[in-house]
Amino acid sequence: MRTTGGQLVMLIAINVAVLAFGAAISGGAFLSPFNLQSMAGQLPEIGFLAIGVMLAMCAGNGGIDLSGIALANLSGVVSAVVVSSFLSSTDQQAAYSIAFIAGALLVGLMGGIFNGLLISRLNITPILCTLGTQMLFTGFAVVASDGRAVAVGTPDLLSEIGNGLFLGVPISFLIFIGVAAFIAALLKFTPFGLWLMLMGTNPKAAHYAGFPKTRVLIATYATSGVLSGLAGVIIAARNVNVKWDYGTSYLLIAILIAVMAGVRPEGGYGRVICVVLAAIGLQLMSSMLNFGGLSNFVRDFAWGALLLTFLAVGRYDVVGFLTPNKSKRLV
Amino acid sequence: MGALSKNLLLGSAMAVALVAGSAGALMAQNKPVIATVVKISGIPWFDRMETGVKQFQKDNPDVVATQYGPATADAAQQLQIVTDLVAKGVNGLAVVPMDPSVLEGTLKRAMDRGIIVVTHEADNQKNTHADVEAFDNADYGTALNKRLAECMGGKGKWTTFVGSLGSRTHMQWVGAGEANAKTHPDMKLVDANNESFDDANGTYEKAKEILRKHPDIKGFQTSAGNDVLGVGRAIDEAGLSGKVCLVGTGLPNPSQDLLESGAITAIGFWDPQKAGMAMNSVAKSLIAGKKIEDGANLGVPGYEKVKVTKGPGTGVLIIGNGMVLADKKNYKEYLF
Repeated sequence: MRTTGGQLVMLIAINVAVLAFGAAISGGAFLSPFNLQSMAGQLPEIGFLAIGVMLAMCAGNGGIDLSGIALANLSGVVSAVVVSSFLSSTDQQAAYSIAFIAGALLVGLMGGIFNGLLISRLNITPILCTLGTQMLFTGFAVVASDGRAVAVGTPDLLSEIGNGLFLGVPISFLIFIGVAAFIAALLKFTPFGLWLMLMGTNPKAAHYAGFPKTRVLIATYATSGVLSGLAGVIIAARNVNVKWDYGTSYLLIAILIAVMAGVRPEGGYGRVICVVLAAIGLQLMSSMLNFGGLSNFVRDFAWGALLLTFLAVGRYDVVGFLTPNKSKRLV
Repeated sequence: MGALSKNLLLGSAMAVALVAGSAGALMAQNKPVIATVVKISGIPWFDRMETGVKQFQKDNPDVVATQYGPATADAAQQLQIVTDLVAKGVNGLAVVPMDPSVLEGTLKRAMDRGIIVVTHEADNQKNTHADVEAFDNADYGTALNKRLAECMGGKGKWTTFVGSLGSRTHMQWVGAGEANAKTHPDMKLVDANNESFDDANGTYEKAKEILRKHPDIKGFQTSAGNDVLGVGRAIDEAGLSGKVCLVGTGLPNPSQDLLESGAITAIGFWDPQKAGMAMNSVAKSLIAGKKIEDGANLGVPGYEKVKVTKGPGTGVLIIGNGMVLADKKNYKEYLF
């Protein structure tokens, strides 16, 4: 197993470099508190989806979760429609917020379990299964919302999550970091995490080792589903409205982040810290290009170039090359 | 790893950094900065609007006016651009929202920050200082449908296309069109509100499907700028030019061939160039603290005597007089 040092170092270096360039081209405005908060606030919705994709990829057997954003939209829409019918977002703010969040997480969980069941019990290839469920979830969301945007309103708690700051850091970003840390701990310290990685490394050996593969798979996709639900909550909190077709471009961006983070698409390896840093790096790069007034097409080019650089780093030991005198550590 | 590939690797990493760095240093701007954000970059409609923004910049050297737009028709991407511009601290935002409801949160943050917000094609946008429309959207939808009904002889099956179910103006146009069609009892609406997402090729495929499903269909009313091109191509290929009527929003230049062949009966439009200039003009006035009164002259053709009414939020609704319906006979007068 390759040391992760190379990937992590590159990611940190890229982040620092983009921050420096951003500051240089904007005369320091890029590093202003307002902008840092603005970028930190844009990150969580795509970050949760990226972690979900990472978990699915680690499970192996061509694991992936293409239904992330569709499930996020579905959870937001269904929760908003159902909760609005018996609570008001202006009169019973606290109850509405809590009910909405609970509803969205529940729908996310159910969607994730559905994915997990199809993939583990019926043995459907994950990419085909989640492609199908993506369209299924989108369809449900259209029907539930009549194709229109559903207003969630600005009840206090939800509005705080979307726009509030705690010690100058956006609350949604803190939630993201908290959840990422929780998932990282889950992967590192629990049997579930170990089984997940082992399953991805060698499905056959996992089968003979006798641990509950089906349950691990379902739990993995369920977690991915809950993360999608969380993304749906963040989207609703920030945008005041939820819609079935929000963020269709997020699908590929989430996968891009996971691959850039060094998650092995064939399974068995992935680090949450790398996913978080990759997500931050992409967000910084995107915002920096907007600051620089460059066309959005340059962003696609830059991300593509960045991805190729990362894949090359993964293939060749660039960190070793750059520091030739340090002895290589073996895992 | 060979020396050449190592150098190539370093070189490519540098290239990424260079592209980012060569964005150019932004000197401290003392001039007011007005950022125009459109629905999607690179399609003829908004390329034409960009000529308006550039013209406005030329006519007004005391401001900085530039146009931005996402590479895909995704409201979330447009939201990101607007959010980053708000963080950058522009003085004015002129936005053509892909979906007004998605931008409400960010536009409120912009207004709280003291940024002037002007919108276009979004008369239901609450968080805006002024929404500029080229005409009353219900009137436009009715006019398109009247032309369609005239071509269809008042009878037959017809269908509608929109950019997306969230595109405010498109839904208004087809809604007004449907209301007008009700005055012709023999006109039957089938498969309404097909979404095109501004993709001419996707629209073409959808139109072919509809022509197959309803071989006796007589009319199409389309909304997004590229829809007439996609549907027109499908009609042309099926050999139905002149037999099936197509009326929709489109620009004369791209629609030229299909207008000549008869695949497109008539196009309706307003000049995005003038709309862009009008938005920036309103933004500049509002930044300077002036108010736009009823009957004002924005200094842009088609907006010389605008109607100003109260908008859905705290802002105003500014309606101009820029509707044009062109067909094979007179489209040459507006070659853009």
